[in-house]
Amino acid sequence: MIAGAGLKLFSSWRLGDRTAPNRVLFGPHPTNLGAGRSLSERHLAYYRRRAEGGCGAVITEEMTVHPSDWPYERAPDVFESEAALGRVAAAVQRCGGLLIAAVGHSGLQGSSAYSQRELWAPSPVPDPVSRECPKEMEPEDIEEVLAGFARAAAVIRRSGADGVEVNAGQHSLIRQFLSGLTNQRSDDYGTDRTLLARRVVERVRGAQGGGIVGMRLCCDEFAPWAGITPEAAAEIAASLAPDLDYIAVTVGSIFTPGAARPDGHTPPGFSIELARSIKQAVGDAAAVIAQGSIVTAEQAEAALSEGLDGVEMTRAQIADPDLVRKTIAGEQPRPCVLCNQLCMSRDPRNPIVSCAVEPSAGRETEDPDWHRPSARPREVTVIGGGPAGMEAARVAAVRGHRVRLLEASDRCGGALEQASRLPGRERFALFAQWQERRLEELGVEVETGVRAEDPPGGAGPAELIICAGGVPKPPSFEVAEGAVVLSAAEVLSGAEIEGEGVVVWDPIGAWEGVGAAEVLARRGRVTMVSPDPVIGRDLARTGDLAPANTRLQSAGVRLIKGAQVVRAGPGEVKITYLYSDRTEVLAASALVDADHRLPAPIPEAWKGAVRAGDCVAPRTVAEAVLEGRRAVLEMESR
Amino acid sequence: MTGLRRLFSPLQIGSLRLDNRIVFSAHLTNYAVDGLPSEQHAAYYEARARSGVGLIITEEHSTHPTDWPYEKMIHAFKPEVLDGYRLITDRVHDQGVPILAQINHNGGQGSGMYSRLPVWAPSPVADPLFREAPMAVGEAEIDEIAAGYALVAGRCIEGGFDGVELQCSHSSIVRQFLSGAVNRRTDRYGGSIHNRLRFLRRIVSAVREALSGEPVLGVRLCGDELLDGGIRIEEAVEAARILERDGLIDYINTSIGSATSTLYMIEASMHVPPGYSLFIPSAISAAVDLPVIGVGRFKDPLQAERALEEGHCDAVGIVRGQIADADFTAKAKSGRTEEIRLCLSCNQECVGRVGLNRWLGCIESPRTGRERRPPASPAAVPKRVLVAGGGPAGLQTALAAGRRGHRVTVLERSERPGGAVMTAASAPGRAEFGDLVRNQLIECRLAGVDIRTGVTADLETVEEFAPDEVVVATGSRPADPWWMTDDTRVGAAHVTQVLDGSVSPEGRVVVVDDQGFHGAAGAAELLAARECRTTVITSMMVVGQGLGTTLDMENWNRRAARAGIEQMTDLVVMGLTDEGVSVLHHPTGAQSVIPADWVVMDLTPRAEDGLYRQLRGAGRHPHRVGDCLAPRRAHAAVIDGDRVGSLL
Repeated sequence: MIAGAGLKLFSSWRLGDRTAPNRVLFGPHPTNLGAGRSLSERHLAYYRRRAEGGCGAVITEEMTVHPSDWPYERAPDVFESEAALGRVAAAVQRCGGLLIAAVGHSGLQGSSAYSQRELWAPSPVPDPVSRECPKEMEPEDIEEVLAGFARAAAVIRRSGADGVEVNAGQHSLIRQFLSGLTNQRSDDYGTDRTLLARRVVERVRGAQGGGIVGMRLCCDEFAPWAGITPEAAAEIAASLAPDLDYIAVTVGSIFTPGAARPDGHTPPGFSIELARSIKQAVGDAAAVIAQGSIVTAEQAEAALSEGLDGVEMTRAQIADPDLVRKTIAGEQPRPCVLCNQLCMSRDPRNPIVSCAVEPSAGRETEDPDWHRPSARPREVTVIGGGPAGMEAARVAAVRGHRVRLLEASDRCGGALEQASRLPGRERFALFAQWQERRLEELGVEVETGVRAEDPPGGAGPAELIICAGGVPKPPSFEVAEGAVVLSAAEVLSGAEIEGEGVVVWDPIGAWEGVGAAEVLARRGRVTMVSPDPVIGRDLARTGDLAPANTRLQSAGVRLIKGAQVVRAGPGEVKITYLYSDRTEVLAASALVDADHRLPAPIPEAWKGAVRAGDCVAPRTVAEAVLEGRRAVLEMESR
Repeated sequence: MTGLRRLFSPLQIGSLRLDNRIVFSAHLTNYAVDGLPSEQHAAYYEARARSGVGLIITEEHSTHPTDWPYEKMIHAFKPEVLDGYRLITDRVHDQGVPILAQINHNGGQGSGMYSRLPVWAPSPVADPLFREAPMAVGEAEIDEIAAGYALVAGRCIEGGFDGVELQCSHSSIVRQFLSGAVNRRTDRYGGSIHNRLRFLRRIVSAVREALSGEPVLGVRLCGDELLDGGIRIEEAVEAARILERDGLIDYINTSIGSATSTLYMIEASMHVPPGYSLFIPSAISAAVDLPVIGVGRFKDPLQAERALEEGHCDAVGIVRGQIADADFTAKAKSGRTEEIRLCLSCNQECVGRVGLNRWLGCIESPRTGRERRPPASPAAVPKRVLVAGGGPAGLQTALAAGRRGHRVTVLERSERPGGAVMTAASAPGRAEFGDLVRNQLIECRLAGVDIRTGVTADLETVEEFAPDEVVVATGSRPADPWWMTDDTRVGAAHVTQVLDGSVSPEGRVVVVDDQGFHGAAGAAELLAARECRTTVITSMMVVGQGLGTTLDMENWNRRAARAGIEQMTDLVVMGLTDEGVSVLHHPTGAQSVIPADWVVMDLTPRAEDGLYRQLRGAGRHPHRVGDCLAPRRAHAAVIDGDRVGSLL
């Protein structure tokens, strides 16, 4: 860990005509915190919390500049957000940070569902996800959008925000004009694909009259046959830079919508090298900001030492809004685990932005201050050292209780430990380590190897918090004698499988089944069976659905969809196809069951005690952490 | 109404006398705002009440904070719902129509995404859709749920409802208790049907006590969950008998399926025959004297009359029929059955939208979901309007403009109007889609629109006609992909050419699904029926990816399996060789050739905007609607046409 105010990361810098207190930014991202199509009080609380934690510059959720763009239900509209934007700006500025308003137009990557109007785009190229064909914009449409950017910039200026960021990154009409993938026009906007971007910047700069003007620019569409390549991006950036105060370097195209914020399967800081090449092309004409899974101060500092000017640490500050303050003070921030489970909000269900390890993120207006001292400190015993138990113990200790934590196995971590053995989810171990370190600092008495069945040394139910986790569920299919059936957890704990061929039965479609198959594919032949039409259904929200399928197929895993396991026998697994009732017998030395788990049974003596996490119902880390916190307050109220 | 004698005979349900036997039964709308009933709810139900429907039953209201499975749910456990309740009930009562509130707890058929609470269920069995492990409720939670139902039932009466219906069907903790498939309890709430029914009887008695006297109490029972080990009709009949004997309820409504595993049979699309679930009310009414409501894709008053005539039920739930036409009852009653805008059972803008967390609409009724908007006013100055193109966009423009008093002429190039809709309707099992055009033509006739077929609108015709307004609705045409070549023995055709019969591929056929909807799937079925060896390939992860939201996916997969249609995913077409279709498997980069005699393509069409460009070039200011603006689905054509036709 590195510490201290001496880092370049925490040096103030000149951004356009403003000064930011440090070089850490909170990047724009969909939140669903809006009230209708306006920024809201919830936005204000969310951004203010990050500014209070020391963030140098907050960039708002992107706001649309024209009625032809309504990409998701609560996508803010800049013209409906003027009043709220003023309050957000004032709140962030009061904490010493800058507030930059992001604006854009999603073009063909929008949605017609809310506006019930056609999508606008440079050319009638359908989005590969929605498959909806957009309208080829007429010259007067382009003029309207340009006017929209100008009016938006004027609104932002009036609101008191420090600047405007124009989106030419993901989900952007401007990028669609810049790219040969989506711009097939034969007019001036096609022969010079940068024309729209230039005109937007001109109009924004003209309307802005002071304040920062930045651009989020896609610098690699990962589609070299027609898309923006790093080389082309360097030229584009160099040509736009003289009129810009900064360029935030991002990646991804219509084929790779999740590329800018991938989960832990992509190495952190994956775009730093690209940002450096853009900086070389741009020189001193504009600041260049790196983006892309930068989650530690070390990596951020390294990026700056390579000549970059600022670093976006968005998910890291969703996970811990006090990232800057804590790092300066030499404390360890709560680590972002790059799981993308709750921070990805561009989903038709409109989930509010949050965080698996910090479930109060996005809930700033509704959650209590978990860390306030208790009026009546007592001796508290927490049963179970998984994420729920450790969080309960930590919060209880911070609130002034004397806490003892009993863990049945020989170390804490529980489900986090299991999760961290999955490919791409290694960072979950960091969260377990973070919690353990806090317990140590807080003087929580941690006893491992204490069986949950043992009476916890005289503690009555009033002082008990049960976080005993989950247990494997009996198989939903027939198991014949001699069949080898393992849980995904056993595989991840390193259980040996003898012989060739493993079938993974995944009725859930989340990380566990997919991850177990990936691990097993390293040692031999694997077949995955799912009842769904796709493998890994629930990975869609994290952005890992398509990447997971690519990894599995590249590893040679056979994917059987629309089927279920009916019987495991010695050396074979029988499946039924759901749509034809056809059966097939797969040769397999073992079956791995990635089904749900059951709550751990609770001894009679503890009934009535507060429970949290998987022992209530086995779910994810987010519920465990949230319920661990709530359990402390509930116990106090008894 | 001579033919609809029973449908328009009164029916006594508890203390309520219904004017007729058409019920607008419960269905989700996503009209709630911040958990509360809205102005839109009131306008929506009022529009159906104005038509004279016999009874309205609202969408479900949640009875407990642990129940929040979808974002826009009515949170009846909050007292703030009362204002919205009164708004709805006053408006409906003003039309002389009774209205019940459906109250519910979705139990394990939900998640903690919105509530941030564990979900509650009879047993720790995860729901097949939500896949969140629930918490098994104990006696304390059961008490709390019963109290929640009672509280909400009382609140509904306070808010002016004439009674309540308990959902024990689609997505309900009551059905979960009743179901042997998910109730694994060993206490007095599990095991025999009598034990599994205990939870419902407990709620019925708590609610009846809260209602006291007059208000109506009904239950909606699932007659067949269509699940292994689940509720079958015999158990449903037994439950109905016991409930009748208890003497606390006034009627029984029925349903089929479970909303999170067999929804495609609850809101069945046009591929499932009307009245498919009548065996349920039929068996129940044979066993009890209580009035029984039947449901199941009734879209025509004659079908409903027949169900009553044959004694299957005492009243008929007609939901999608009244989503498509709010005036369904009035038209049926006055003998104008032909004028009813028939539901297509396409599920695109009702079920499909709601499933995606959007407000309920209708593919062919632009007013559905927009009832608050005042109807378009008559034109101040009637104009001569020329519409070029008689597809769905052109016809909708014409009828919207014609209704407002404009003199409208439609020129259609082919011999019959309907455009792309009629081609789509010629796919196997898709004939009802053609009702979209049937309905438009009737409305055009009523609006006095002049439709001329076999006339191509070009610059000259338009100039000759000298209209005050010209609307271009010339549709789209198939476009060849970049990989198309003449240098192959493989024949190539577009899906539309196969569907309209202009090309008849034979032998081994590869169908390229680039749109992810009915086009490729329909063509494949047609070809397989003609004994072609048919393979559908797509670059997406699923063939027909859009069929999921319209609930067509399961039955498409069944039909495809039966017909021997092979499906392959993740494949990008790179070209044609003499042997077949050359493809790239994009996850691995592997290239191969799929042997084929023909390739049939469902690709993005190109806007047919030649006339529009010519007119602009000639200094006119034409309007543009539908596919010639941007090739999209039928709803976009209808909405474009309605908007432009209403503004001329």
